[in-house]
Amino acid sequence: MSRKPYQRELPKTTWFLRHARYKKYMLHEISAFAVAVYLLILIIGLFRLGQGEEAWAGWLSFVTSPFGLILHLIIFGLSLVHTTAWFKAVPQAMRVQRGEQFVPGPTIVGAHYVVWAAVSVFVLILAGVA
Amino acid sequence: MSERTIELEVLRYRPEQDSEPWFQTYKVSCPEEWVVLDALNYVKDELDRTLSYRWSCHMFVCGSCGMVIDGEPKLACKAFLRDYGNRIRIEPLANFPIERDLVIVMDDFMEKLESVKPYLIPKEEKSIDQGEYLQTPAQLKAYKQYSMCINCMLCYSACPQYGLAPEFIGPAALALAHRYNMDSRDVGRKAREDTVASHEGIWECSFVGACSEVCPKSVDPAGAIQQVKLTSAIDYFTSWLPGGGSR
Repeated sequence: MSRKPYQRELPKTTWFLRHARYKKYMLHEISAFAVAVYLLILIIGLFRLGQGEEAWAGWLSFVTSPFGLILHLIIFGLSLVHTTAWFKAVPQAMRVQRGEQFVPGPTIVGAHYVVWAAVSVFVLILAGVA
Repeated sequence: MSERTIELEVLRYRPEQDSEPWFQTYKVSCPEEWVVLDALNYVKDELDRTLSYRWSCHMFVCGSCGMVIDGEPKLACKAFLRDYGNRIRIEPLANFPIERDLVIVMDDFMEKLESVKPYLIPKEEKSIDQGEYLQTPAQLKAYKQYSMCINCMLCYSACPQYGLAPEFIGPAALALAHRYNMDSRDVGRKAREDTVASHEGIWECSFVGACSEVCPKSVDPAGAIQQVKLTSAIDYFTSWLPGGGSR
């Protein structure tokens, strides 16, 4: 008897709308762009600083404008999504075996949060904020 | 024993009659302790003998009855009716061609599984008289989780990367490669590397993680693939160091 297998195609652009877990994945992938955009804003800031006082003041007024502040909030939110998503995934990629046991996932994730907090405090001290 | 009537919407595809799949609804009075497989067996025995699906052990061991139940890849023997509403949609595993009804064509998976050499490659072959290849409990622990795979292919059904790029070797095969690479008795990592550490191998994975979420045996193929990525990246960079070997 001849065979006639039927191939169902996955829609190339809308596949991620099919399940909540794919939407979540897309969100934390897209959040990487927010981190990239913020890096760009900071690099532009450095560049403007090099151009002199007036240019720097212009950049500063942009980032402290209402639009700049809303942008900060959005980027901060997406950065949190990005960071927490990847921290959560660390125990899968990094298994630490001690004898016949593995270091529990929450310990590894917790250590990442501790280091994150420590680095943040260090940066704030450097910036003269804390 | 409480019963309720459940409507099973089952995807049908009969290659000799149908040009494309369609849904057929069966009304079945089901005891609450049934699993979806019991309901399908009832349909097959009492209502419609033409319905085709795979199953064997009925106890999450054989990996035969994988299907998509209400949009989620599941073993039909592990999907309890009490967890579902009065209408249940049952489809064959996604990302595979449909042979007939709920039966998929698994040739692609079998070829990929074979390509990663999923067997022990010892340093020296021993005869039976020479005894076992010994291993400590800690060495066993290092790979045991990845040895629990039952080849049910739910992970391939959940993996959008496999759906979009069918050349991807995929979660279960890569997790099994990792299982043997992590085995202290095995020296086959180099022999598997060309397949595993290729673009169609681990680097095609974008870590959606769906494979690990649907795995009925908690194998965590996504984790295995990320670990292989790490080892492979370290291999690549150390190959640039003096005495690091050929690239």
